[in-house]
Amino acid sequence: MDLTRRQLLWAGGAISAATLLTGCGGSDDDTAGSAPGATAKPRRGGTLRVGALGRAGAITRDPHGSQANESDYLIISLVYDTLTVPGTKPNTMPRLAARWQPSEDLKTWRFTIAKGAKFHDGSPVTADDVVFSLRRLRGTPSGASRLPGIQAENITADGDDTVVLVSDYANAELPLLLRLTTFVVPKDTADKDIAKAPGTGPFKLDWFRGGNARLVRNDDWYGGDVYLDAIEVKIFESPQAMANALLSGQIDLASNVGAVAARTAKGRGDIQTIRRPNDMAMPIVMRTADGPFADPKVREALRLAVDREAMVEQVLSGYGSVANDILGTGDPAYAKDIPQRGRDLARAKQLLKEARFDTSKTYELLTTEDIAGLAESATLFASQVREAGVKVKVVKQESATFWDKTWLKGDLYTTYWGTNDSVVFFASKTMVSESGTNEAGWQDKAFDTAYEKAIGTADAAERAGLLKEVQRIEHESSGYLLWGMADGIDLAAPAVQGLPTLPGYGRVLLERAWLAR
Amino acid sequence: MAGPLTADTTTAPVRKPGPARHVAVTVLARTGVVLLKRAVLLAVLLALVFVTVELLPGDAATATSERGESAADVERRRELLGLDRPVLERFWDWMSGLPTGDLGTSARGERVTDLLSSAFPNTLLLGGIALLLTAVLSLALGCWAALRPGGRVDRAVSGSATAVLALPEFVVAVALVLVFSLWTGWLPAVTLTDADGSPDSWTMLVLPALALTIPQAGWNTRIVRAALADEARAPHVETAVLDGLPPHRVLSHHVLPGALPTIAAGLATSTGMLLGGAVVVETIFNYPGIGSVLASAVTDRDSPVIAGVTALAGAVITVVLLLADLIRDWMAGGRR
Repeated sequence: MDLTRRQLLWAGGAISAATLLTGCGGSDDDTAGSAPGATAKPRRGGTLRVGALGRAGAITRDPHGSQANESDYLIISLVYDTLTVPGTKPNTMPRLAARWQPSEDLKTWRFTIAKGAKFHDGSPVTADDVVFSLRRLRGTPSGASRLPGIQAENITADGDDTVVLVSDYANAELPLLLRLTTFVVPKDTADKDIAKAPGTGPFKLDWFRGGNARLVRNDDWYGGDVYLDAIEVKIFESPQAMANALLSGQIDLASNVGAVAARTAKGRGDIQTIRRPNDMAMPIVMRTADGPFADPKVREALRLAVDREAMVEQVLSGYGSVANDILGTGDPAYAKDIPQRGRDLARAKQLLKEARFDTSKTYELLTTEDIAGLAESATLFASQVREAGVKVKVVKQESATFWDKTWLKGDLYTTYWGTNDSVVFFASKTMVSESGTNEAGWQDKAFDTAYEKAIGTADAAERAGLLKEVQRIEHESSGYLLWGMADGIDLAAPAVQGLPTLPGYGRVLLERAWLAR
Repeated sequence: MAGPLTADTTTAPVRKPGPARHVAVTVLARTGVVLLKRAVLLAVLLALVFVTVELLPGDAATATSERGESAADVERRRELLGLDRPVLERFWDWMSGLPTGDLGTSARGERVTDLLSSAFPNTLLLGGIALLLTAVLSLALGCWAALRPGGRVDRAVSGSATAVLALPEFVVAVALVLVFSLWTGWLPAVTLTDADGSPDSWTMLVLPALALTIPQAGWNTRIVRAALADEARAPHVETAVLDGLPPHRVLSHHVLPGALPTIAAGLATSTGMLLGGAVVVETIFNYPGIGSVLASAVTDRDSPVIAGVTALAGAVITVVLLLADLIRDWMAGGRR
């Protein structure tokens, strides 16, 4: 799932871990890395009270609907299963689909449903249910972007336990794209009954009211042991209120509560801070198609003018890591060996001179306050590039205005992505010439070619080499200035164990959580 | 529904109170006219809601779309939400559901009545408690201060009333959370709800109600104090004082009744302010009321939800203002 525009994802943080560029914790066979202290034998029982962000007016009960609330997504993810889920290494793990097999040309993919998978009403999950659900998803306005390259008629059942997807083009990363929204409901569920549709997930819905819900353990879950008796989800509009609830013991876990709360809790020994690296990218977009930043030298100059360490330290309070202008830092295929760009003001000035960049003018950097730290990052960036002789004025826009007027069109603006997706995902969404959401209007033939080769290559080692080429071009000339990655931050009471440490939507994998009390 | 309005009879003084029945009929007729006027006003306001949302940049289709959706996808979303139809047609559709209690569907496919079914009573409960507290506090303090004009109590009450009146709700709210829940642990920091949608325990209402009450009580105390001072200069009050009645009796029997209409109007105005303050206070205390629903609906350009909240809030304020008018009329009638 792409990040919904109005999603309140609060990035931020405390202590720097610049070395942590890949997901930490978790062994290779572990779906979600677990927080420290998870070495003890899990204990069964207890109710976990979880706070999650959401707006009461933006509630949705439809697993395939337009998602704005983390609270809704958390509830849906625990009640329903997707075909695949985020993992550490590899970054795509089986869930309702136990295994998958591509054809030679990487266009036809066969997914086998997990043995013993049952809906909460006891009926077994068949390929028809999965086909119905995927087609329902494909039929929503978001369907084309959530199931890229897959037409509804190319989703078919083969027998009782196999689903066949045929992609319009070779796509080595198809299973990764099924991680976030492919929730399965029984076939022929009518739209009016969708809120009551039984799921197949680790928890069953006991009740839902106004964004709050109680979920009870599904003892029959095919995916293994679930330790908690119940999970109570509480909706919070503001991270501050959620932090107060945790500090005063009204909830046990504050999901994705952000850096400000982590700073508040730092002095207290009775609160665990769970940091999930590579959670949120807040790049600055420089328009490449036309305008003052069309010259690659100018973009290079700005990338050399920014002080990345200071950005991480001040904007994220240190809860984050320095990045290298390449999106997809959490990907196992992320090219760590491309040299890290540092600050070089002399070279930046030289490049601006060579490009005949007009330094007498003041350039507007457009931003919003959608997420914590975004507007602050713009302000700090403006003061840093002034040292290279570039005058930037920060303009804050109201959220809806920004997405309507500035996004995809502006010369210089901030954007954000909180989905922890792969290098390929970001390339396909934001950098390939024909992509519908090419944020910087970037058209680069060599990049397009490298990208198409990479997603059409089945051999993992060979694909890694091709992906490196994709990242090299991106690092050199794309429209992105990615100065750092914010950690996702959860706060929890000391008794809560087995929490996920994956960034992005990996935070909802609570099926292995347990209470040591 | 906007028929020709009848002449304004609301301010015509009741000269000869006839038999009780006659008075009752007059009051009912007048109430009906007032209600009709307010209903027309509310309809105009709701039309304005739709038009204003239309004028804002972006619409519900772009606000609820995801990144990666093409222009064609967003256009389809627009059609699904019915946003391709003219704004007045959509408004008329929404209005025609209003008499049956149908407030339409939110941009994310939820019924607006579902979104408001527990939120609105929760806000009424919180606002009601705050209004009651405000009335009691401001009357008590205002009267106490008015007993000895210019005395020490008067100076202290008027001074502190001005001070708290100047405090924004969020400052009061944050201070309350810090002191009463994070430092002392006496009261819950936030409001949580269960399956029934109402607060888990009454203790959760204390801090949000106080955060709303304190600034409003400051404002109303000043109104009470001023109204009593004005009334104290009336000739009948002087007569009562010269008759040698004790001060508290003069206050309760001669000064307060004449000041009541002004005080009632002040409290009625407070109702609107309380609903406004509720947006801020609900966010800080995570109180599940309509304030947060409204704020999020504006972000989403979700006209049916905004209009639904406006209609309910408008109905409540109308009733409160009507009560204030009735008190004024009753006092005016009683005085002649």
